[in-house]
Amino acid sequence: MGNKITIPFGSQHVALPEPIKFVFQTENERIVDVEVDVGYVHRGIEKACMTKFKYMQIGYVVARVCGLCAISHTLGYVTAIERLMEIEVPRKALYLRLIVSELDRIHSHLLAMGHLAEVAGYENLFMHTFRDRELVMELLELVTGNRVQFDYATVGGVNRDITPEVEKELREKLKVLKEKTLWLKDVFENDYTIKLRWKGIGVITPEMAKELNVVGPPARASGLATDVRNEFNYLPFKEVGYKLIVRNEGDIYARNLVRAEETLNAIDMVFNALDGMPEGDIKVPVKGLPDGESLARVEAPRGELFYYVKASKKMILDRLRIRVPTFANIPVMKELFIGMDYADVPATVISFDPCLSCTAR
Amino acid sequence: MKVEEIKVPLREIRRAIKDFYDPKEWHFITVNGTDIGGKVELKWFFTKYGEEEVFKVFTAEANYDDEVPTITYIIPSAWIAEWELADLLGLNVEGAKKGLFLDPDSPKAPLRRG
Repeated sequence: MGNKITIPFGSQHVALPEPIKFVFQTENERIVDVEVDVGYVHRGIEKACMTKFKYMQIGYVVARVCGLCAISHTLGYVTAIERLMEIEVPRKALYLRLIVSELDRIHSHLLAMGHLAEVAGYENLFMHTFRDRELVMELLELVTGNRVQFDYATVGGVNRDITPEVEKELREKLKVLKEKTLWLKDVFENDYTIKLRWKGIGVITPEMAKELNVVGPPARASGLATDVRNEFNYLPFKEVGYKLIVRNEGDIYARNLVRAEETLNAIDMVFNALDGMPEGDIKVPVKGLPDGESLARVEAPRGELFYYVKASKKMILDRLRIRVPTFANIPVMKELFIGMDYADVPATVISFDPCLSCTAR
Repeated sequence: MKVEEIKVPLREIRRAIKDFYDPKEWHFITVNGTDIGGKVELKWFFTKYGEEEVFKVFTAEANYDDEVPTITYIIPSAWIAEWELADLLGLNVEGAKKGLFLDPDSPKAPLRRG
């Protein structure tokens, strides 16, 4: 029998600048039990979307669920509504959505990789990663008009086209970013100390991943070949060179490398989408009112994002349900902590790239 | 999109999901509750790994004083969605604790209508 200590992690913690609280029961620094509280920033957005906002406004409201995942939230919602109302979105708009969605993935993955370097004590690598990420942040601002809270997609298409000047900038900056990402991947993959710190830590086995319905990079790093881009036809990913990235180690190291490889694939997809950009409109007019039920899945940077809508020919929806990736991954995080050394908690938590803003929408 | 919806009485939901669910083949997405006026329509969403747009949805209706059976015996990760039902719709879900999302001074069952 060792020393039993209760250690709260959060609600605010240096390793995770978002409010979540884990209360760990430890025995000689080994975790024997954990409780979780995710409700610090609950904003009642689902309720607001069922009472205050009209269905055409909701795409802009759900973009406020999270600054980082704004593109994915709007995409999830507009896809569900477009399926329900049988709206045929112009192909050019789908390509533009794909470009912005992948730019969003690039900046989010680079943020996660930098953040993980930071909690491992690699301040310099963290700064390199964030400096390089700035390139894609500038591109997102150029394309959408905003650094965060991008209101790009709308029901029926997108709000802005890409001008030739913006396309030129996209190509130039992404070329630089690809070189920098290759360097970052090399460091994350081959640095001796990083390997020592992250290999074999926080391992999700393939069985755990299936039983606990893990989503996103943590699932793919555990040998589970699931990616919404492969399973739900919401954007033309397969036309622009999408690759399903899967690794088998299941540890922190593998989760980071899945993100690095997905970042490189996302850059390639943006180039290919620019090369194959169709001609035509970027938006179609929307007529009528939604009636019935619909659902949509979107591969947000953190994993599967699920939208369910129910409507009855009114401006206000009967139900809007948002199931975000971090919410889906909390059960496996909780399981993973049991038996782990407390010292491994910060890196393990960050390796999931949790988004509490989304979770407590 | 291929969505197969199966309506079952609430008391049979656990058996229906147990008979169908294979974690190697099916991914459990979530359970959703919609207030339909004095009652709740519950939907358990599943999708098939590796296949394009294949869904299975189990639907049951519950009164607000019914006990909703947990499916965590079959799908351990379902606890978080069930606790959310208890918080946001005020449902009496077997084994669910309140307070995952809402503090004690928050509005009770905010997703109920009226």
